[in-house]
Amino acid sequence: MKRFPSLLPLLLITAFTAFAISCSPEACFEETNSFLKASFYSNSTKKQLAPDSITLTGVNQPAKKIYDKAKGVQPALFPLDASAGSCTFEIRINGMTDTIQFRYTSFPHLISKECGYTFYHSLDTFFYSMNAIDYIYKSSNSITTANEENIRIFY
Amino acid sequence: MRRIFAYFISLQLLFSGGSLIAQDTVMFPLKIRVGFDIAGPGIYMTDRNNLSLEGYISYDGNEKRTYVIEAGYLNYKYSQYNYDYKSKGVFTRIGVDFNLLKPEMSLGKYWAGVGLRYGLSVFNSETPLFKYENYWGTVTSSIPSRTRTGHFLEIAPGVRTELFRNFSMGWTIRLKLLISGGGGKDLRPIYFPGYGNGGNRTTAGFSYFITWNIPYKIKTVITKPEVVEEETEEEAGNADTSLQLRP
Repeated sequence: MKRFPSLLPLLLITAFTAFAISCSPEACFEETNSFLKASFYSNSTKKQLAPDSITLTGVNQPAKKIYDKAKGVQPALFPLDASAGSCTFEIRINGMTDTIQFRYTSFPHLISKECGYTFYHSLDTFFYSMNAIDYIYKSSNSITTANEENIRIFY
Repeated sequence: MRRIFAYFISLQLLFSGGSLIAQDTVMFPLKIRVGFDIAGPGIYMTDRNNLSLEGYISYDGNEKRTYVIEAGYLNYKYSQYNYDYKSKGVFTRIGVDFNLLKPEMSLGKYWAGVGLRYGLSVFNSETPLFKYENYWGTVTSSIPSRTRTGHFLEIAPGVRTELFRNFSMGWTIRLKLLISGGGGKDLRPIYFPGYGNGGNRTTAGFSYFITWNIPYKIKTVITKPEVVEEETEEEAGNADTSLQLRP
């Protein structure tokens, strides 16, 4: 009869813990959007340098600016269109305008039961004009909700 | 020669310890059990989107160890503002229960211990609708039904007691560790039979079983008397002396 009383509190604690885990409130606290992350670099020094001013707009979405003369943006987050295989952005860096087109494939990804699904993308290629931009370097194909750099924009 | 024989016996007594000390025995009934979970149907009464049916068969290997096979069925539906989800399938778990109660306390009627399980689940999961919203607008899509296989491990502490002759009730907490949910890293199942929330690496569950016990063998279990160590040595010493004095 000695062993049972010592087991009982352990079992009750386990039961309470399991109950608390299984009945935790269902709220989404995770990032649900995946962005293409672009870091800005100075082409002269090859070091990270945020532009003094950046304006970013999706082509065909002129009323909706992603950044509007924003300062100190590093990195810039480009939302991709999951319903299309490419999308084009107009980017104005320190008063000079360029366009960048990204081509990619999209696929669904479960974030969690609470948050549901998002789209991840795999970056295939990109095209850009070279007014403010000197060149763009691709550092990762994988466009997810993680904080991982995808391209470097040298200007 | 006689002296050597006397020493041999005394050494045997010394090392065999309690084997010659008066021992208690317990007639321990080994059983085959068939049980059904009532927690799953109970949850279904309040949540019509979650039907879980489960049962088990177990076999006492000895008074401490029981071999268990569990099997069940799940039909699960879930819906929230940005997606709908369905999962339907079967699962099985195999493993061992260890009774932590002493045989003289357990008597084949009471069980408090821990079980270890390996679980295998075969199921269809489908996301008929999900919505994704970002700068470019709202995308509505779906993930078609696919058959998947999930694997998991469980630690299952619990208690069980015999309420009536050959009928027991008891509960088990299930602490689960996901090995694989079968959907790769992008399309893990949201919920699957036997495991639960496939989005989590660990999860917990609960079972409440009604069990029919079928005794198949009576085992005589020797229970060790709790003897203080000094007494044992003293007794051994006495036995040694008495044996040596015999001609």
